[in-house]
Amino acid sequence: MELLIITAVPFLLAVMLALPAVRSWLDKSTQTLLSSLVMAALFVWLLTLSPRLQAAPTFIQSFDWVPSLGISLSFYLDGLSLLFALIITGIGALIFFYTGYYFEDGAENNRFMIWLSSFAGAMLAVVLSGNLLMMFIAWELTSITSFMLIGFKGEKDSAAREGAFKALFVTGAGALALIIGIVMLGVATGQILYPDAGITLVADIDSILKAKSLAQHDWYTLFAVLIMLGGFTKSAQFPFHFWLPGAMSAPTPASAYLHSATMVKAGIYLFARLSPVLYQNELWTSTLLTVGLLTMLIGAYFAVKQNDLKGLLAYSTVSKLGAIVAMIGLPDQNGLKAAFVGIIAHALYKSALFLVAGTIDHATGTRAIDRLGGLRQRMPAMFFVTVISALSMAGTPFLLGFVAKEVLLEAMLRYTASWTQLVMLVTVFSTAFTAMAAYMLIYDIFLGKPRHKIHFHQPPSLISLSPLLLSILSLCLGFLLEALILPLLRLAVPKAFKLYLFAGFNDIFLLSLAVLATGFILFLLRKPLIARITFPVSCDLVYREILAYIRWAGATVLHTQSGFVRYYLAIILGAVAAVLIASGTLSTVTAGQRLLPTDISVTITDLAKIFMLFLTVAAGVLTVVVREHVKAAIAYGVIGYAIGVIFLIDHAPDVALVQLLVETMATVLIIIMLGRIRAGIRLKMISGLWTGRHDYNLGILRDLGISIVIGLAVFVFALIALQNRPGRDSIAQWHLENTKVVNTEDVVGAIVADFRGTDTLLEIAVFTTAALGVLTLLARGRQTGGAFVPQSVQPTALHEFDEDVVDEIQDATSLSTPFTRSISYIVLPIAILIGIAQILYGGLGPGDGFTAGVTIGLAVSLWYIVFGYYEAKRQLPWFRPELIVRLGLVIAITNAVFPILIGKGFMGHVQFDKALGVYDLVGSFGLHITSSLIFEIAIAITVMGGLGIIIEAIAYPTARLNGRQENADTGQDGESEKA
Amino acid sequence: MIEFMFALAIGILFGIGVFQLLRRDLIKAAIGFAILFSAINLFFVAAGAFEGDFAPYVSNVEAGRQTSDPLVQALILTAIVVSFGSFSLVLGFVNIISRRYDTIDSNDITKLKH
Repeated sequence: MELLIITAVPFLLAVMLALPAVRSWLDKSTQTLLSSLVMAALFVWLLTLSPRLQAAPTFIQSFDWVPSLGISLSFYLDGLSLLFALIITGIGALIFFYTGYYFEDGAENNRFMIWLSSFAGAMLAVVLSGNLLMMFIAWELTSITSFMLIGFKGEKDSAAREGAFKALFVTGAGALALIIGIVMLGVATGQILYPDAGITLVADIDSILKAKSLAQHDWYTLFAVLIMLGGFTKSAQFPFHFWLPGAMSAPTPASAYLHSATMVKAGIYLFARLSPVLYQNELWTSTLLTVGLLTMLIGAYFAVKQNDLKGLLAYSTVSKLGAIVAMIGLPDQNGLKAAFVGIIAHALYKSALFLVAGTIDHATGTRAIDRLGGLRQRMPAMFFVTVISALSMAGTPFLLGFVAKEVLLEAMLRYTASWTQLVMLVTVFSTAFTAMAAYMLIYDIFLGKPRHKIHFHQPPSLISLSPLLLSILSLCLGFLLEALILPLLRLAVPKAFKLYLFAGFNDIFLLSLAVLATGFILFLLRKPLIARITFPVSCDLVYREILAYIRWAGATVLHTQSGFVRYYLAIILGAVAAVLIASGTLSTVTAGQRLLPTDISVTITDLAKIFMLFLTVAAGVLTVVVREHVKAAIAYGVIGYAIGVIFLIDHAPDVALVQLLVETMATVLIIIMLGRIRAGIRLKMISGLWTGRHDYNLGILRDLGISIVIGLAVFVFALIALQNRPGRDSIAQWHLENTKVVNTEDVVGAIVADFRGTDTLLEIAVFTTAALGVLTLLARGRQTGGAFVPQSVQPTALHEFDEDVVDEIQDATSLSTPFTRSISYIVLPIAILIGIAQILYGGLGPGDGFTAGVTIGLAVSLWYIVFGYYEAKRQLPWFRPELIVRLGLVIAITNAVFPILIGKGFMGHVQFDKALGVYDLVGSFGLHITSSLIFEIAIAITVMGGLGIIIEAIAYPTARLNGRQENADTGQDGESEKA
Repeated sequence: MIEFMFALAIGILFGIGVFQLLRRDLIKAAIGFAILFSAINLFFVAAGAFEGDFAPYVSNVEAGRQTSDPLVQALILTAIVVSFGSFSLVLGFVNIISRRYDTIDSNDITKLKH
């Protein structure tokens, strides 16, 4: 449990910091102090776990995550993970504290802390994961949080955006390689299986580490290379190192934490983690060694050329990362000790130096080395920190960095191969350049004379606390090796070893002094030297070329996109049609089926059905061939009605009723909408439809062909389905026999309101959502202060509109005659009465909540057509659709949940009349007060409200005001003048 | 015979709906969309597990009469209302497009491309 909590705490911290209450109550420094204390507590907690590791080398905790796939949330702690986790939490505590003084803006600080603590959680998850797949997820999380932190100022700073993208691009591409490598490794060790029954994904680290002879596996080359690619990109190894200097646009605390102490060491963690099973192969060791040495050399060489203070630190970080990778690559894991000492020493001095850089930036507003100088008197604390940390970086006796360099040189000297001399040369050269960079940091920034007049403002004094502590650690830890460093290292390094602060005047010590001296000479010669530093190939340039190529490819692909959705639809459907024909699916499916009717005798009802079917098809053809939209809409209405009649003949009275009502509604809706579209637009469409465009002939043939094939396929499908119906064993029979249980006569009504009530509940929710969709589409920009539409909108005089709009309005209002108005007045109360009757007695015959809702909705829409929007709104003040919908849904959900309380389960059937003792009383009126009845009422209310929303949204008058405005916000109402 | 006729009508209606969707006129495309729904609803009722000569009421069942399949009917009952909801959404789209682009010709609506 402990490891789970330790990993989760930083995430919870991030969530807590994001809470509005925390943001407003706790000020900047309280937030950072709190976060810092949390990280410090985690550090202490991790330390208390270390005695357990002395008893047993590993400590595993596992929780079920996706048991069906065999994935568990498992945590794995050994010396290696403990070392990394301590760095993450320890350095984290200091950097979190520093952050509170780095940012001046509280909101910025809060946003930064949220991302930084999320990163800390992700990084802890990387090193504590007991499962490579889980580690991979955390690995990606660190890339994402790193992206957010590098691009922290991305809103204003394009370099930040570019740097963030570059880092994400490189590490993300590497992660793709890594995941393939992990899966292959998992398969090779039998940890990831694909049995027929299901997939098992257990990339358990513990089991992988116990795997034998992995180095001889057939796939070794593949997975080793892929895993190395993942690690190289993450740890900024050559030739992927270029993203790290680019990442320096992050706020400095992020650079200190992510891009020097922790995240860039994730790749190193991965190598060290998998080394025990992978190192027994030449490929692993020589690649790590070569790449590491190259990176070390290039990083050190370029560091001194940087003028940006953070750039210098970034390149020297690259160099140190290379050295550590090379150490891990030494044969027989001989370099592990040197690698781990290097990690600790580097984390301490480099994050201190980054914090110094951040403080200088904060105080002077610049990081350019050639502008800085002589800061010793103004920033004595920073000077102290820099001297200690830079000397530790150079490897000066007797700081912690010295120990790190001693063990590095020792490991290299012990390495015997044909190219030992070259390796030694590279190491000495790189460490000498690192020493030179360290001297430059001290001299060029703090000593000497100020080269430019810079505006200096004193940062808060507490900003120095974290770097001071870090440098004191660099200073003291060398003397406390035995007490503090050794116990930790003994857990992490499998072999027995010794570690001394001063091993005597041996060859290593002399070499070390020589390196320092060479570094000093290089420092003295720095001016002419730096000018000569060049490198023939820039990796950054290659990256830019790749990006340009991707952009070019994207642009090329975009040329194939017409942007017309109907062409896409034609291509999709055409492809389906082509596949149906070409693959022979159509002919295979039809094989053995009798497609043509053998028996052509028909009954008289069949004849009626065939007549109605003929009517639907004829009306369907009409919708295509007639020019005017109104006629097409009416033809569409004919289809709906004919289908309704077919339902009636087919003994489906409930469906027929709903169908007739809804089709009426739909036709009305089309016609209202036609009135809202300017006649000119429609006329242009109509006149251009059958003539005009040059693609017309070909296009129509293409569409016709596609439609015919699709129609044919549907015909075949429908025919086969209709000829192979299941008959009376279907579940429908069960419904027929059990409907009497719920006191209903109408089986369909019982299924809708009872047996499949949950389905219906969701359907009315969907209907409401669709209605809200219409509202948001059409009502955008119309809302004022929460009210739907102001009641007191002043109608705009008709002469303010374009002439054709006036025609349009008068067109739409021509229905308002005394006769139609009287009809509307009469119809609404009747519709409401019919609705109530349908709900109450729906159980006895056709009609239910749906029909009741649509009936009332139709009567209301008649008002909107006859009187126009404002008049209808004014005369029907009770008709507030958005409230009605809410009421309906609340009733429906309450009614669905209530039965749970009395132990009947969700949507259980409750007989209220029996419970209240009025069963016989209401029964004498033919009523049954049950949960179904209440549900029907809720359905009716919801559907009515939904329809109301749609009608209001579509009937809302919007015309172009002299072509200027898209939405006539002031409103217009020709109708009200007439009415 | 009647199955054949049903299937034929469903196929033709579906084809008409697809054709309308593929054409340029957005209002007719909306109507075509609704015709697709009609074809599917028609198919559902026709595809009931069994046919009967009476409406599915308990009294008919108790009298031992052959009723039609109530399940498909219940399924389409809600489907009709929901398809109306999505149809009105389509109409809303056509409406807003006609206002924003001042056209209902889908070939003239090119502003989304870039």
